[in-house]
Amino acid sequence: MDESTKRKWNFSSSFYDLLAYGPEQRWAPSKRRLFANMDGKVLFVAVGTGQDIPFFPPGKDIVGIDISPRMLAKAETRAAKYDGSLDLRVMDIHAMEFPEHSFDQVVTSCSFCSIPDPVAGLIALRRVLKPGGILHMFEHTGSHVFPFNLMLNLMTPLWKPIGPEMNRDTVSNVVKAGLEILQVNNIYLDVVKTIIARS
Amino acid sequence: MITVFGNIRTSCDLFHLQSGWKIIILEHRLYFIAGDALSNGITGMAAALLAANVVDHSWHMLPAMLTGMAAGMGMSMLLMPVFVGLFGAMEVMLPVMLTAMLAGMAFAMAGAMLELSILDVLLGGALTGILVLVLILTYAADAMLRRRNL
Repeated sequence: MDESTKRKWNFSSSFYDLLAYGPEQRWAPSKRRLFANMDGKVLFVAVGTGQDIPFFPPGKDIVGIDISPRMLAKAETRAAKYDGSLDLRVMDIHAMEFPEHSFDQVVTSCSFCSIPDPVAGLIALRRVLKPGGILHMFEHTGSHVFPFNLMLNLMTPLWKPIGPEMNRDTVSNVVKAGLEILQVNNIYLDVVKTIIARS
Repeated sequence: MITVFGNIRTSCDLFHLQSGWKIIILEHRLYFIAGDALSNGITGMAAALLAANVVDHSWHMLPAMLTGMAAGMGMSMLLMPVFVGLFGAMEVMLPVMLTAMLAGMAFAMAGAMLELSILDVLLGGALTGILVLVLILTYAADAMLRRRNL
């Protein structure tokens, strides 16, 4: 397990919900739309404090992982209210214990801004997805448009010690990991987006 | 005739112009529209006030501009966590930072040339924030960039 990443998110767990209210409310409609596609056995990556759980459609079979035990401890309350099967586990995406081809779908939400090696993480997701399985991502990324790209590059070193990187090219990382992009939908500028890819 | 188009959900029809332009406000929830205006207005005022106080008439224009921009950015970093927690992440961070840079730059340069009252600085800073939000960044750019989907 990546201990430095685990420490970072354990530390952030104490104030994470304070900073997450605005973003979660703002993104709620887009997340609900994306998560409505959940089907079959679903892996949800980086559950955090469970802010996304209320947006899950009911009656699904979901396994949620996160590297931070303190984050997951906070997620337990929200998980208990979920009307379906939701199994939370402490796990590093780079060292997942699941056998190959375990899941019909993988869903990520603002996680590939902070996973230390994003391409390796996506390759790990491809391993646990069934052939033809679908990856649904709700992510914020870098921008290709000035001045947004400049600002995101300036912000990254300031936020990285306690949270995410702002300038990652997640769409390219999905391609590098050998997944087939089916759809990219910009939610805010070219920065917040949903990505749908196939294993 | 260029059209910036998108889904029209509320009073956006008000923005259909005779030239054929349609400017679409994609954020239609009042809480977030008010939050965007508040966060950019306050940041603009704070950045302008800081920059105008750092610089005086002895400063040359270029260092005043760069110092004002840096001061504005610094101010935005201080205020950002509050606004992010209330109103959104990227939707707040990017406009607020741009507002702070522009307001800091503009009022540092103005402070190097002119005698400004606090009211001038506050109103100008708030106006910078609202202009950035409405005209330059959030809504029109958002509408255009949202169309660039695969």
